[in-house]
Amino acid sequence: MSDTAISKPATFVGMRLIALVIAVVVLGPIAWGVATSLKTEVMAVRLPPTFIPSPLTFENYDHVFRYQGFLGELWNSTFYAVGAVILALIVAIPAGYAASRFDFPAKKPIMLVILATSMVPGVAVLVPTYYVLDALGLLNNRLVIVVLLAARIAPQTVWFLQNFIDAVPVEIEESASIDGATRFQILRLLVLPLIKPGIAAIAVIGVVTIWNDYITVAVFAPDVTKRTLQVALVNQVFDTVGISWSYMMAFAMTASLPVMILFAIVQKWFVAGLTAGAVKG
Amino acid sequence: MPVIWFIPVLALLALVTLYPTGFVIWMSFQKTSYFQLQGFVGLRNYATILGSGSFWEMARVSLAYLAGSLVLSLIFGLAAALVFNASGRTGAALRVLTLFPWTLSMAVVGSIWLWMLNPSFGPIAYFMGQAGLSPGLMLGDPDVALPLTILVTAWWSFPYVMVMVSAAIQSIPAELYEAIDIDGGGARQKFRYVTLPHLIPTLGSTGLNLSIIYLTLVTLLIVLTGGGPLGATTTLSLEVFRGTLQSVDIGPAAVLSITVLVINIALGAFYTRLTGRVTG
Repeated sequence: MSDTAISKPATFVGMRLIALVIAVVVLGPIAWGVATSLKTEVMAVRLPPTFIPSPLTFENYDHVFRYQGFLGELWNSTFYAVGAVILALIVAIPAGYAASRFDFPAKKPIMLVILATSMVPGVAVLVPTYYVLDALGLLNNRLVIVVLLAARIAPQTVWFLQNFIDAVPVEIEESASIDGATRFQILRLLVLPLIKPGIAAIAVIGVVTIWNDYITVAVFAPDVTKRTLQVALVNQVFDTVGISWSYMMAFAMTASLPVMILFAIVQKWFVAGLTAGAVKG
Repeated sequence: MPVIWFIPVLALLALVTLYPTGFVIWMSFQKTSYFQLQGFVGLRNYATILGSGSFWEMARVSLAYLAGSLVLSLIFGLAAALVFNASGRTGAALRVLTLFPWTLSMAVVGSIWLWMLNPSFGPIAYFMGQAGLSPGLMLGDPDVALPLTILVTAWWSFPYVMVMVSAAIQSIPAELYEAIDIDGGGARQKFRYVTLPHLIPTLGSTGLNLSIIYLTLVTLLIVLTGGGPLGATTTLSLEVFRGTLQSVDIGPAAVLSITVLVINIALGAFYTRLTGRVTG
């Protein structure tokens, strides 16, 4: 830890105060949203606005859980996030291993193709993808959504795995291959257990990314039985006539809850995953 | 055959990314009527789009949105990282908490801020009123909608800059600061000659990564303004998204998609150069 030199006690206290102000600015709006979600609908729009909910009520959360689409949307959000991360890992683990361990002429062009695909933003291929899925009758199909989302996180998953496997000493594998194990057995039985923490970090980042996605599901699976919590939340904004701010905040907080819990449990991996992406090189 | 190990991932990317990319390029040279492709017309779609005033207006909004959000995020992110780094254990604890908004979805961030900025019942309009300022229509005002959207975007994304910069600060060898101590330099010299030079590559790569996010960002804009009022916040990406949903003429929509694609690839190529993320 290298403190940037400011050591006088007064400055140090001043710095802490500024740090506190930054945290309040960042967390204040979220706290306001939480407070609103605990107010009655009437209380939420009363002037002057007050922060503390009085009376405190959980009726908005009760409404969220009772709203008939909720369980289906929760399931869809979970299914897409978990499904896409598993599919991305399945296709990326062999590639990440080969990228780390093998040298062959076609490797450079292959890695360039993976890099190039990572630069194609989802929004740029919305029109053609919609056209093709529509023509094939594959709109509003859960498995199609999983495949689309898995492709979005696949390139970064390959690079992360490659980095993690680079850190595993090759010598461990050599003794196993003398014993007659195939490359695939070595990967499955020796390498994968060693990079478990890395895989967990990738999985967390992938789940959060996909859980938070709106566009893919909104465009390719807008059906009420196929949509996610995020899509349902945005649709409430469009419904400006009947908008209830306290209900909407309760819905937003509920839709964020799994991400909040994941973040609380594994924030170290989360930070590690974020910084690993760019510090390399 | 080592290529076999890459076949699953290449098959997935070919199907979901490469094929539609080729298709959108081909589509842009077609005469189209809504979703019907009616034959080759050369560059006519490009001429239509590039000759329309609305395209340049959307390009201007996209650029203003990107540049504004980027400048604010980098400044706030750098400042926050330095402050937290100089605040000991308090700073370390607050740094973790401050990253939190970055994990929230754009739909959630948008709905929280739509409520904060509500001109009738939101707290910000109320406090502005108390301070004798007229809050006006906030996000409904064509003159302030874009600046407000930029502020919300910066609020959401500067913690990301803060984390990246913090990681970079912590990787600076302490000896470099000690050397300046020996030479009799103070805090300003340390920042000028050690901290800042070490942070420039991180600021560059983080800035490029954010540029890509801002260029292709849609959800936050949909929730906050829907591209309005009067197109004041309609970016190229938002128009592509709307075009897909509203079944507009797909030939011109393909040209817009390609514009976003080309800028994105240019930014991505710079990013690759800067981070040295090449090919194993």
